[in-house]
Amino acid sequence: MRPPARVRSPARAPRRAVAALGLLAALGAVCGARGATLVIQVQTPDGRVLPGAVVTARPVEGAAHKAVPVRAVIDQVNRAFAPDLLVIPVGSTVEFPNSDSVSHQIYSFSPTKRFQLPLYRGKPYPPVHFDQAGVVTLGCNIHDEMLAYLVVTDAPYFGRTDTSGVWSAEVSRGRYRVALWHPRLRESESDLERELTVRLSRALQPAPLSDRPHSWDY
Amino acid sequence: MADATCIRLALTIVLLTVADVTRPARAATDWQLDLDARLVSSNAEPSFMEGGLGTTRFSSNDDGLQLGRVRFAVTQSIGELWSAHLDASMYDDKDRSPVGVTEAYLLFRPYPFDGFRFRLKAGGFYPPMSLENRASGWDSPYTLSYSAINSWLAVEVRPLGVEGTLDWLGTRTGHGFDLGATGGVFGWSEGTGVVLANNGFSLTDRQTPLFGRVGQPGAEPLGGAEPFLQFDHRAGVYGGIELRYFDRVVLRALRYDNRAEPMADDVTTANYSQDTRFNSAGVRIEGDYGWTGIVQWLDGETTTAEDGVPGGLSSWPFRAEFALLSKRFGRHSLSARYDRFTVDSVNAWGYGEQDGHAWTAAYVFDASAHWHFTLEWLQVVTSSSTREDLGLPPLLTERQLQFAVRYALGSSIR
Repeated sequence: MRPPARVRSPARAPRRAVAALGLLAALGAVCGARGATLVIQVQTPDGRVLPGAVVTARPVEGAAHKAVPVRAVIDQVNRAFAPDLLVIPVGSTVEFPNSDSVSHQIYSFSPTKRFQLPLYRGKPYPPVHFDQAGVVTLGCNIHDEMLAYLVVTDAPYFGRTDTSGVWSAEVSRGRYRVALWHPRLRESESDLERELTVRLSRALQPAPLSDRPHSWDY
Repeated sequence: MADATCIRLALTIVLLTVADVTRPARAATDWQLDLDARLVSSNAEPSFMEGGLGTTRFSSNDDGLQLGRVRFAVTQSIGELWSAHLDASMYDDKDRSPVGVTEAYLLFRPYPFDGFRFRLKAGGFYPPMSLENRASGWDSPYTLSYSAINSWLAVEVRPLGVEGTLDWLGTRTGHGFDLGATGGVFGWSEGTGVVLANNGFSLTDRQTPLFGRVGQPGAEPLGGAEPFLQFDHRAGVYGGIELRYFDRVVLRALRYDNRAEPMADDVTTANYSQDTRFNSAGVRIEGDYGWTGIVQWLDGETTTAEDGVPGGLSSWPFRAEFALLSKRFGRHSLSARYDRFTVDSVNAWGYGEQDGHAWTAAYVFDASAHWHFTLEWLQVVTSSSTREDLGLPPLLTERQLQFAVRYALGSSIR
């Protein structure tokens, strides 16, 4: 199995050179007859890799399968959220324990999900349910410097780039719209959307014949 | 009377706090205790606290082991959106009481809504001006001695009143910056400016307690003045703006006017009113690799009734600037600061003129959350007309070397 060849996405290139982030997509490593590994690498304009970026991929045609909701945790340690960025599918719940010895007071005024967790330590509140896609900015009303982001997505494929700036997923064949999000992006999300076609490198083996009369047993 | 009321209020807050701590319920009480011991070597003249005209906190009489500060601070939540803050410190025995409250206020902090955040403070607190004094207890994390500007705030600028702040949290709504506007109305500031007019600027880290005293009774020129008094029945005001670019840049500007009646005096305490107003602006930039740069500027004037001239006024226009550069290497940091300051005199005697500059260099080692060590060298060069009037050489170079061992203990320190 040869390693995936990295090719630049055929979609339009970012226009603003300073702000632009490069999306490198690689398709290869055919998995079985109908799947492929989608590999996305995110680069800054000077070619350095960008770890921690949120990447989502959703099929352009056909109904996408729904990602399974998860039960996630965002802790508060040393007056900071841990992790400070989390991506979850729509319908997931997130618990916000406070492991600090000081009290915190968590809030979000983001339209995606407005909520408040009154002054607390430990784990006194049930998990918060996120039923709408979008970005939720979290803060603490006591410690103004505390900041975290929750990306709630309805895409079937999602994740964050690793230390090499790479995110990969096993996808079915088809056309995909790949989007990128990062809290410090200067360009709008739509500027960073790419449409990708997952093309297999070899023709499929013969498909089962479906037009034979059922009476033909041999 | 106001003094006694304030002390009673502070005691009530402490008692309420202690009562709450003893309850097993989900108590939202945060506290901190700081101990600060110094080894000092100085060739300076006695400071204003000892009735002198020295410009550093410790003089040549203080060589050896000294108490830097003992501080106790507590924050007590009151319900969901209110909290009480109390900061008490003990420096030495030169003030009226061994322990003084440097800040005490109630804070109302409703949840931010639609990108806006509102805060209301009531009590005694620092105006939102310093970009250097950002550590707990209004200390500087960069040096032991504060800049001349912030030393002046520590000595005699402490509004007692109400402050409202409205912030637009752009960084939380997809923008690169936050914008804030602050306004305050206050009293008990008739004496603000008395140290500047009589002694000029100094570089210290001693924060005068609320309703505290500066100078020693009977020791001129200050003679034990009280900066925080109310006797002219006029309220002071201040207004400021703050601009933040992510967590990298903070820009602040403030206009302060205590609106004191300069002809007023308080017969019972023998204090004169100082009409003090100033503008200040500053910027703090924090870059990658642990670099921090701060520049701050202050320009103002303080006016009082002229001694021996019926209806006459004496004014002291003042101006100060500093630039600070700091570099952090993990638990170590090195900082250098240059201060420049001047006090002019517009009165019949030419009294109280000062011109000077200072260099500060400091090394801080944060060994752990509990233990902190700082070595600081400070040199202040001043020319003072008051010294000349007293028959002393007007030009003076003072040097102070300090080594501080600090231990912190608290509910949030692990």
